Amino acid sequence: MAPSPSPGPSPAPSPGASSGTLGAPPRFFAASRARIFYLVVLALLLLLPLVSESAAVEAVMPVGLTGSALLHVFVLIFFFAFMSQAWNIIGGFAGQLSIGHAAFFGIGAYVSTICYVHLGLSPWIGMLVAAAVTSVFGAGLGLVSFHYGLKGPFFALVTVAFAEITRLVLLHWEFVGAANGILLPFEPDPTFWQFQFKGKEPYYYIALVMMLCSIALVAWIARSRFGYYLHAIRQDEDAAEAVGVPTKRCKIQAIALSAALAGMGGTFYAQYTQYIVPDDMVVGRVSVEILLGAVIGGAGTVMGPIIGAFILIPVGEATRVIFEGGGTGVSLSTLISSDLGFGEKFVAYLDYLASGGGGGLAVILYGVLLMAVVLGMPGGVLPWLSGLRQRLRRRADQAGG
Amino acid sequence: MSLFEASGVTKRFGGLTAVNGVDFRVETGEIVGLIGPNGAGKTTFFNLISGFLKPDEGDVVFEGASIVGQKPSDICKRGMTRTFQIVKPFAEMTVTDNVLVGAFNHHRDAGSARKRARAVIELVGLGPQADKLGGELTVGGRKRVELAKALATEPKLMLLDEVMAGLTPSEVAGMIEVLGRVREAGVTMVIVEHVMQVIMNLSDRIYVLHHGEAIAEGRPQEILNNPEVTKAYLGDSFLADQEAADADKAAWRESQAARDEGDGSGAPRP
Ligand SMILES: Nc1ncnc2c1ncn2[C@@H]1O[C@H](COP(=O)(O)OP(=O)(O)OP(=O)(O)O)[C@@H](O)[C@H]1O
Ligand SMILES: [Mg+2]
Repeated sequence: MAPSPSPGPSPAPSPGASSGTLGAPPRFFAASRARIFYLVVLALLLLLPLVSESAAVEAVMPVGLTGSALLHVFVLIFFFAFMSQAWNIIGGFAGQLSIGHAAFFGIGAYVSTICYVHLGLSPWIGMLVAAAVTSVFGAGLGLVSFHYGLKGPFFALVTVAFAEITRLVLLHWEFVGAANGILLPFEPDPTFWQFQFKGKEPYYYIALVMMLCSIALVAWIARSRFGYYLHAIRQDEDAAEAVGVPTKRCKIQAIALSAALAGMGGTFYAQYTQYIVPDDMVVGRVSVEILLGAVIGGAGTVMGPIIGAFILIPVGEATRVIFEGGGTGVSLSTLISSDLGFGEKFVAYLDYLASGGGGGLAVILYGVLLMAVVLGMPGGVLPWLSGLRQRLRRRADQAGG
Repeated sequence: MSLFEASGVTKRFGGLTAVNGVDFRVETGEIVGLIGPNGAGKTTFFNLISGFLKPDEGDVVFEGASIVGQKPSDICKRGMTRTFQIVKPFAEMTVTDNVLVGAFNHHRDAGSARKRARAVIELVGLGPQADKLGGELTVGGRKRVELAKALATEPKLMLLDEVMAGLTPSEVAGMIEVLGRVREAGVTMVIVEHVMQVIMNLSDRIYVLHHGEAIAEGRPQEILNNPEVTKAYLGDSFLADQEAADADKAAWRESQAARDEGDGSGAPRP
């Protein structure tokens, strides 16, 4: 769970070489401190469902938020952390900006759902089928794009186009329910094998495990040859190619793996919401939410997408809770048409945005967050934090000696 | 069988023939110099034989097999690696990780690659800078990283494109020492360099490229005494007076002078 892809067992600085500030001991302690922090957070997350209904938790929670809603927010956080981590492999490590990951997400959801509805295949197996199918789509997209040397904005446009085509196909394909999507058959007495549960707790733990697995996978990649190759590709493809990096193959592998994970995320989402519909899933907003977590937290780092999701999702959910009165607020149109002062109408307008009108307030806040990060912490929150630590240490050293 | 052999290699950019029917041969263990005025086509020739450009005509054979049309990474796997005249360090990686990427060429496992990288870093004298980021280095450091990355791939043949350009005299001396060690390690090299003294001292054999054509080949002393080389290669800087009457050439010279300024490596001196 190291925050940067390269700390590894870093080579001992040659004797008498690197002096002072960056010696081995401080870095070791910093790393282990971060590890302890992550472990504590993990322990709390594991325990949370046990106490989410307790009076103590209810007391400190914002108005209108129940224990079950709290679990829901965390499921969303874990889910988006997982999706951002999937995106991180191609978008962060390999530096190939995809703005179309909602397509893999949507395809994954549809594949496992179709397998379940039409073939009676357990969604657990369907999840693997979804991963296989989306990885083929990812590899195909990469093969075409990278064969023609598409980079930067051009690759991004291809991914956008791919997502839009996917949405249109799903929207007009009667077999998969077209615009109505698919409502998963409700099981009154679901079994584990059916991937349906009565309470939120099982979803909570499944999402948590998926997030942890994605972290473990990416942490492993970051230390492996593949991870170094992807980082090299992101920085200079010619230089990478010159020292033996098969750049095209690596990029295709990266997008295939990334798409496979995103497809698995789609299966989870379908099982969690029990309802999939193209205009809710394969849309730009979802693609952006997926990549935004990684970009805000720190693209190309192991923990960045996780940190990003933990920042992003609560902000999005909070706007909904605050401006929609926890989902029980008065209808917006009545507010606007009613005889109100300017201030109250402004609140009503915020409400309207929050409910998704005109792009949605959450999206505006995401934009503000993104700007703050891009301007204030280039590289994301996590790299900024570790940079801050170094700056502070340097300042302390200067003050001390 | 020669380690490397190019025959009739040609590359045209629109109307300009940047490399024209060049024959080039390297034997195992040699250091071969490749010289020529700015714009002679040296870098283009490297691009052609390392897979970054595809020749219009001609064949490139490495260890008995044609490598025309192969990707640079495949050619690197075979044992031929190049450096870039305009250095390309991985700016956000430490020096160690820069070299590590190269070391992964023949070591899948991170542990043994790291060991290899560390050895190379010591060899090229980058030990003190090992934890710095690629983007933080001075020109001298970047040139060394460029060399170290290539060396870490364990090449049989290394193509060095002006690894000494822009270095201070003491850095040049250091680099010569490093190249000596690399040669002892059994690596064959082709070096492009404008610093004549370096090329003459290091090279076993020298090729002279002029307007894309290989106009001479031979031992350093032979090259020095070759009147054609003196005239063609050194024409613009030494025989300037004699040629001043030629209006066409004067104009051409001006454009070359502009290039020289940008290059920063100064005029070649024998
Ligand atoms: N991609 C390209 N497109 C068009 N012309 C090119 C291209 N690359 C090189 N050239 C031209 O080909 C000629 C040879 O250039 P090249 O860079 O190979 O020379 P060089 O011998 O390496 O020069 P220098 O000593 O300045 O590095 C020059 O006239 C250059 O402008
Ligand atoms: Mg050149």
